[in-house]
Amino acid sequence: MKNYIKIIFIIAIINFIELSISNTLSRAYIIFPLTFLSYSYYVYKSHQNINPIEAFLFGLFVDLISNSYFGLNTILFCLITYLINIYSNSFKLFSNLQICIFFGLSAASYVGFTQLIINLYNFSYLTLFVSAVFNIFFSILIAVISMYSGNLINIRK
Amino acid sequence: MTRISPSPGQKIIYLLLIFLGSFILYVDINTNNFQKIKNGFNSFKISSFFFIKSFSINPIIDFKNHFQFKDKLIKENKKLHTALEKSYLEKYLISQDSKFFKDPKFLEEKLDQNNLNKPFYIAQLKNLDPNIFNCCDKHRMHIQLLTASNESLIEGVVFNTSGVIGHIIHETNYKEVMLLTDVSHSLPIKNISEDFYCNARGSGISDYVICNYNPLVLNKKMEIGQNFLTSGFGGIYPKDIKIGILEDIKVIDSNNIELNIKLSSNPLNSNLFGVINF
Repeated sequence: MKNYIKIIFIIAIINFIELSISNTLSRAYIIFPLTFLSYSYYVYKSHQNINPIEAFLFGLFVDLISNSYFGLNTILFCLITYLINIYSNSFKLFSNLQICIFFGLSAASYVGFTQLIINLYNFSYLTLFVSAVFNIFFSILIAVISMYSGNLINIRK
Repeated sequence: MTRISPSPGQKIIYLLLIFLGSFILYVDINTNNFQKIKNGFNSFKISSFFFIKSFSINPIIDFKNHFQFKDKLIKENKKLHTALEKSYLEKYLISQDSKFFKDPKFLEEKLDQNNLNKPFYIAQLKNLDPNIFNCCDKHRMHIQLLTASNESLIEGVVFNTSGVIGHIIHETNYKEVMLLTDVSHSLPIKNISEDFYCNARGSGISDYVICNYNPLVLNKKMEIGQNFLTSGFGGIYPKDIKIGILEDIKVIDSNNIELNIKLSSNPLNSNLFGVINF
């Protein structure tokens, strides 16, 4: 229970950071789903499979704090949890670059889906493409930092 | 440590939860059933933010201000002096109107035309997410009245010094305002010559509303820079309030022309708003 409260608290802080920087990034056509990426990283790093109900509730909580439609993050959190759980062992065969591309593209899919729901009238392929590139580079950057700074951010198990 | 792939039972639970999530999403988009929960949470978020701020940031600011008190006082004094001079000038014009205008009742009549019979309330901005305002379809903000009101202010018009910015759609401790740029907002407008009427919907982009019309039905030539006013047909906004100017004309197809109207008002201009129920 203590662990869950800790995760909820961290998610709330990360979501606050995401909302704070998103206005600046949106001027460069970038949408950076930091909460989603952090949650994906948590699922990826977890030593055991994440319960689907846990993913559902985390998604619902993110919907509430980010003031988006209920169900939007819920679906996407459930999907990413399922995908990471199913490929958890296959990830060990992949290179760091492949894992980074997976996370970057999953973040881009998240951006595309959320934009379709909350920003349908001004949907922009430019934003989607730039966000995909940015998110892939961000994942690579995190992997590189983890490689050259020991166990600071260990992306690979 | 090896992780086990999800069992068929877990896969079914994932599928069911994704269906449940989709159902919740569908209900939330199409109905207002979750609005109370969201408003309640927003109220809680705003109240707790101000509560925490009053114990953490405010004492630090007060401490800092204490040392800058004199400088601040001098600056404020200069500012007040300028405002007073400006006010004197304006009042002088009104008090001497018979000498300035040929018709001595000119100003009186002008003031009578804008006579407001109903009281209006001053409200303070409590929450406007600039990210949502700059990106998405849903443009909302929360305000709080500075003076108590007994009447319901739902559908009350909200304005600031730059013009009308939207109307109130929900009331809790804070009033939720749907801005003119929200895509679900529709505003009946007309041009100055009153031979063109349309419903301007929010564009989802800050500062712009969109008006579509069929040129086969209404053969009207539009000019960039043309002014648009409220027509008063919706029953919420009073008529003849300036909304904005025509900035762009897009021919979508032979049946559809889209007018991009740049609003003269901007909710980010000030923290204080007026609310009036017409």
